[in-house]
Amino acid sequence: MQPHDDDHGHAKTTVQDDPPPSYYEVMETSVRELLVEKEVIGADEIRHMLEVMDSRTPALGAKIVARAWVDPEFKARLLANGRTACEELGIDFFEDTQFLVLENTEKVHNLLVCTLCSCYPREILGLPPDWYKQKPYRARAVKEPRALLAEFGTVIPDDVEIRVNDSTAMLRYMVLPQRPEGTENFTEEQLASLVTRDAMIGIVRANTPNRKEQSR
Amino acid sequence: MNGTENLVKRLPTEMGGLDAGPVQRVEHEYAPWEKRCHALANVLDIHKIINTEEKRRGIEALGAEMVEKLTYYERWIVAFANILFQKEILTPEELAKKMEEVAARHQGAQHNE
Repeated sequence: MQPHDDDHGHAKTTVQDDPPPSYYEVMETSVRELLVEKEVIGADEIRHMLEVMDSRTPALGAKIVARAWVDPEFKARLLANGRTACEELGIDFFEDTQFLVLENTEKVHNLLVCTLCSCYPREILGLPPDWYKQKPYRARAVKEPRALLAEFGTVIPDDVEIRVNDSTAMLRYMVLPQRPEGTENFTEEQLASLVTRDAMIGIVRANTPNRKEQSR
Repeated sequence: MNGTENLVKRLPTEMGGLDAGPVQRVEHEYAPWEKRCHALANVLDIHKIINTEEKRRGIEALGAEMVEKLTYYERWIVAFANILFQKEILTPEELAKKMEEVAARHQGAQHNE
């Protein structure tokens, strides 16, 4: 960083400590500006999309899960058609993809992966964690899911079937975790606070009431 | 066997079933340009200019070395540029010229201190 000795109070000096943009950032800016200049995309579309993306966080998924836990009819609709059930809650989809919600039960534990790239229910959960996009997770999820789950502290009994769901460009999954015991008197909001991003990927279970802060 | 056959048998992005070490539970804050890159992808998808399949194939077409060495969104923006050239929406010359202009703009901002 440069000292501010030659700062004469011009507004532009506020950017002087920013490192120059990388080759790839310059490319991003250039592609975007050219597409706007050619009117391929509108000037405000990227900004608007950034706002939409910022509104998609695991809290949205947690709200869906909590509703499914308290409302069996909603749950049935959610499992039958994830997209239209989410639309009931005012969540709109901007991508032309199917959305399939997979229910974890006493007999079946679902796990999500994208072995080919990084498909993920972004329209609900936002952007995925880095580890979801990296080789070890993608390579091993389909080969040794039990070991992988154990690394995340999730021990699945041998008599429970593990289903590894490999996402595609056209089909996105989300896991509906099991409702934890001891939550019979919980409000929908309290229930939602137990549902983490990682539980909706299926790599952990929903938190139990006394282990709330354990995972993200 | 000299190992090159694996380059033929598997696309550089095809990870399922390979041997790999423990998951590094890393996460990083997305840089603003990375988010913009993602927003651009979504907008291009909505306009039916580049869909997810094309995007993935565009990344596969970068080849194993680039897939390995570039970061996630670096791969994306390079793939988008190539696809936009192939679709004749942009030309390489236009992009090169614009990139010089954008880089110069940042240098100019620094010289104005």
